[in-house]
Order: sequence, then C-alpha cells, then structure tokens
Amino acid sequence: MRPNVVFLSLASDFGCQVQITNFPELLEMLGTFNLSYWQLATSAHMPDEYDIAVIEGACTTKEHVELLEKVRATAKVVIIVGACACTGGIPSIALNGDLEEGLKLVYGEAAGKVAWGHIPPRPIGAVIDVDFKVLGCPVNPDEFSYVLQRALLGLVDNVHRETMCASCKINENSCFYAQGKVCLGLVTAAGCESFCINRGRACTGCRGIAADANMKAAREFAAKYTLEQEFLNGLEIYNSHAKGLVHDDSFC
Amino acid sequence: MTTLSVNHVARIEGHGDITVDVDEGVIKRITMDIVEPARIFESMVVGRTFEEAPLITSRICGICSANHAVTSILATENAFGVEVSQRTKKLRELLVYGSYLQNHGTHLYILAAPDYVGLPSVFPLAETAPEIVKRALALKRLGNELCTLVGGRTVHPTTAVVGGFTSEPTRTELLTFGKRLEEAVRDAAATVELFGSFDIPRYETKNDMLSLVAADNYAIVEGEIHSLAHKWNRPVSDYRGLMQEEVVAHSNSKHVMVDGKPFMVGAIARVNNSWDQLLPSARVVASKVGMRPVMKNPFYNNICQAIELVDAAERCAMLCYELADSDGSAAPVEFKPREAVGYGATEAPRGTLYHTLEYDKNGIVTAGDVITPTAQNLAGLEADMRAFAPSILKLEHDEFILKIEQLVRAYDPCLSCAVH
Repeated sequence: MRPNVVFLSLASDFGCQVQITNFPELLEMLGTFNLSYWQLATSAHMPDEYDIAVIEGACTTKEHVELLEKVRATAKVVIIVGACACTGGIPSIALNGDLEEGLKLVYGEAAGKVAWGHIPPRPIGAVIDVDFKVLGCPVNPDEFSYVLQRALLGLVDNVHRETMCASCKINENSCFYAQGKVCLGLVTAAGCESFCINRGRACTGCRGIAADANMKAAREFAAKYTLEQEFLNGLEIYNSHAKGLVHDDSFC
Repeated sequence: MTTLSVNHVARIEGHGDITVDVDEGVIKRITMDIVEPARIFESMVVGRTFEEAPLITSRICGICSANHAVTSILATENAFGVEVSQRTKKLRELLVYGSYLQNHGTHLYILAAPDYVGLPSVFPLAETAPEIVKRALALKRLGNELCTLVGGRTVHPTTAVVGGFTSEPTRTELLTFGKRLEEAVRDAAATVELFGSFDIPRYETKNDMLSLVAADNYAIVEGEIHSLAHKWNRPVSDYRGLMQEEVVAHSNSKHVMVDGKPFMVGAIARVNNSWDQLLPSARVVASKVGMRPVMKNPFYNNICQAIELVDAAERCAMLCYELADSDGSAAPVEFKPREAVGYGATEAPRGTLYHTLEYDKNGIVTAGDVITPTAQNLAGLEADMRAFAPSILKLEHDEFILKIEQLVRAYDPCLSCAVH
C-alpha cells in the first residue's frame, strides 16, 4: 500500500514548501505515495490517519505544541524541513530580546488582543522526537527529495556531521577571514556544497551548528582576525535557540 | 443567526479563516481572519547589522523573497546615500520579474485555476489536461531559473547585497536565457487567453487602487505612489504618513487605510495605473480578451497577472540582451554606513511593498517598518466580501463558500507576508 504523506507548516515564510514545489520530480514521485494533505496546494482536508508527516516552520504558539504532539502520536515518520524547524531559525532571533516587548513594538497597546498563545520560538526537535531533518534556509529540493526517498524506503537519517570548511576548500574558495570578513562556515553543518560562498557570499549559518563543530577553535580562529564578536553575533541569526550551547565552552 | 466558516482556506499562501454571520437572510458580519502566528520581524531587525537586515526581512516571505530582499537593500542604500551602477539596477529588475514569473505562474495555475474548472486542486489536471499543467510548470520553472540566474537560487537570493551583487550571470548565460524568455511569451499569451475564457463573476469594487508609477518604465523597482481614483502621486518616503495601520481583533495582520478608506494593490492596480507603459504585445493580448482600463472587478486581478506575464517575459528578454551587450559591473560599490533613516519600495507580485530601516552611525538597525501588499489589501478584501456576498447568498452553502473563497484567491493573499 502506498504511504499517506501530509505537509504541515508552523511559523515560517513557506519558502521551503515553495522550494519543494520547485522540484520537478514531485509530480512523478506522487505515484509512490498519496499526498493526503497539503494546505498550500489543495482544498482536501487533513486526514485523521497518515504515515509520514513533513513539517516546516518553528514552533511559536501553544496551538503548535498541541499539533506537534498529535502529529507525533499519529505519524510513523516525522520529517522536518528548513532552518525554522531544525534550529528555530530566523524566528528564534526573537529570543535575544523580550518577547512581550517585541509584540508591543509591532502591535502597540493592542498587543494583548492579537498574537494569541504566543510562546518563545523553538525548533520542532525541542518539542517532539523527529526522524529526519532537511537543513537549510531554504532547503535544497534535491536534498529534500533524497530524504523523502530514504523515508519511503524505511531507511534512517543520514546527517552531515562535518562543518562547511571542507566542502568550501574542495570548491576552491578563498577564506573570507583573510579579507577581514566573518564567515560562519567554520562551525556550520556541511551538505550544501558551500552554496553561498561559491557565489561570493560568506556563510550565514543557515544549516545550524555541525555535530563535529569545534566551537572553541572556531572562536580562537575568529579572534585572530579580531572578528570573534562578529562571529558570535552572526551565529544568532539561525542559532539563537542553541545560544546557550554557543557560549558554553563545554559544547566544544 | 447562522455562522458559516472556513477553517484554513486552501490554495492561499498561509493560514487564514473566513467567518460569515447570517441572520434571517441578511449578512451581519463577514471577516477574513488571519490566524497565521505573529512573527514580529520589525522587532527582530533591531540590533542587527545592515548586512543582516535584508537577509532577515527576505525571510518574511519565501514566495516573494526577492522583493523583500531588494526592498530592504533599497531602504538601506537610501539611508546611507549609496548610488549603485546601472547594471545593478537592471539585474534587480530582472530578479523582481523572476519573482513575477514564479508567483503569477503558481498563483494562476496551481492556486486559482482549480476554482474556474471545478476541481479541488491542480493535480487531477495532470491527467485530463496535461498541456495546461505543462505550461504552468514551464512558466514557474522559467521564473525559478531567472531568480537562480540573478540571485543564485529560486528562493532567498544570496547574491543580492547592499551596493550590488556578489556574483553575476555571464554573457553566454544572459544570451541563452533571453532566447528562452522570448519563447515563453507564447505560453504567457496562452495564459491570458485561458483566463479570459473563464466564466468570471460580475462585480465592481468601490475601492481605490494604488501602485508605483514611473514616467519611462513599467514601475517595478523605482517610482512614485499613484492613486487611480484621485490621480495624485506621492514619493515613497511619504508612505508612512499616507497610510494608517490599525490592529483588528480577528487578525494577526494589521489593516491599512489611506484617508480612512480601504484600497487595493496588485496586478490589477498596476495594469490600470501603468497601462501606457505595458509593452504593445501585452496590450494587444489584453485587448483581445476585452481587458483595458479602467478595470474595477477584483476577479480580473487574475487576468491582469497573466497580462503581466506577457509583458515580463518580453521585457526580461530585452533586459538580458541589453546586459549581455553592455559593459559595466554589478560588483558592490563602496559606501560608509551613517546615522539615517531610509525608505524602499518595490512592486511585489501582490502589490506595493514598503520597508523603512533606521540606522545608527555603525550601520546597526535601530528601528524598522514593513508594510506588505496583503496587509494593504485586507481591509479592501473584507469590504469587497461584504459587498459581493449578498448577490450570491441564494446559492447552496458549499457554492456560496466557494465563491467567497474564489474572491479571496483572486486577491492572491500572502498571509505570512501579512503577519510578518
């Protein structure tokens, strides 16, 4: 029997879903599974039973927590896609300030009337167990397709433990630090073939901190170029939820 | 009193509900409830650098990320007094048009068309009308590839930075792509014909329509704000005084008014306001299906999107050839951050997008403001829902709801933009 797949999204910009619709094999792959729910593309309703849940976005409301728990209890496999889901991503920048103040800045005195049940942003992995992660902001459609196929075949996740620097060297890029510019590839998880750096832009850390990252050595390296503070500030863009880890030397 | 409601309207970008209260055949209340969670981007940019601000605001929306990135860059350049090269300006125009091809292609075929052929989604069409699905995917792919050519990838351009581009397409790439764009004009024209052949509900809006305009160009990246009804022009830097934002209880998106009145932005506003700047081919195709200013039926927004596809494909082909045959560089120019406030505006696929960024002398953001097209459209959409609903109240429940949804989808709302 073909497995039933549902696509869900929490707080996000829908960019990863857009990326996924950008992959031409989707229509062909539809033959290998039933797309039971996808709010973005069809008016069919969310079913009660399904096998694989693909979730985009960060968890930012009480409603999201309840939904995630329900999904985990139902789905055999949970795949999370994109930086928001995997690290807390851009929404987690809000953790650097006071959440109430942030809401007030945007909605003014009416803040209490809207933004019901808002909670500090967190990655999906902080709420439920996940089986597969597709990193990146946005995800690369080929990488998503690879992960979905692994899930359909009943395999386990195959995560990149190493940092970006190795792929960056293979692609023959010169180091941004030599130009006096900060680059987060020092600690960021590999797997994108140093995409941005190949196009002249320093790594912004969207894939999160690699399991094998040596934070202590990276900070020392950045300090040599008097860029340690910029390096740590830059990490806040995608890794504010793991900030405790970033600043804790025991993480190294 | 009966309440009709739609939980999570399908085939729109984001989470929104519709609520209709009917009492003895009279509609008491009708609202578009934006339940997409609050995202507080305007507070998240505070304290970030001028390099990070466009990266962050680009993540307001994965669907029109090119527009958010470019608008944020324009606001920053406006603050710092940065003059970029002609080549950079043209590449930005291409990038924004790439987003038009992506968005209009997706919205027309995947989100809107199923309404007009009575299907829940576009997927069944793959079997019954494969040529239509093929054309849809081809247009969308062309937009994706144009965004990739200029911005490095289809979503969230990585090469566009304050001052210019970190890498740019080669002459050969531009020439090859120009040819493909030329060939796509036919697909775009077929899209106008397809949407022109649909049975479109009859209705006229009372709302004004606003868009950027320019004397010498179909205004996309630069221009002045123009009112269709009142004929005035205002500079972009006036937008915060011009528009009043208000928080409404049923929505995480603010509503926006001009002089206390709702208005509409988007393709229909642009085609109405900049008709004379459309390329002749686009005007001819439009006239063939009976479209010409002044168009007041918001359902025509879909046809106007298709008209813009014709214009965009041909215009971008010319831009590609122009860039291929001219010298110059789009490499980021030198500049110094300064303490100042900057304004930026572009025409996103869904309408005018405004960003304000205030900087301290080190180029750190001290305050930010974003007004998105969908936020501007919501009050007008609700006004149109209220005015349109009585004429279809005699329909069966499901049909009534479907027609209301169809109106919502004609507006092409983007709810993650709306809440930003």
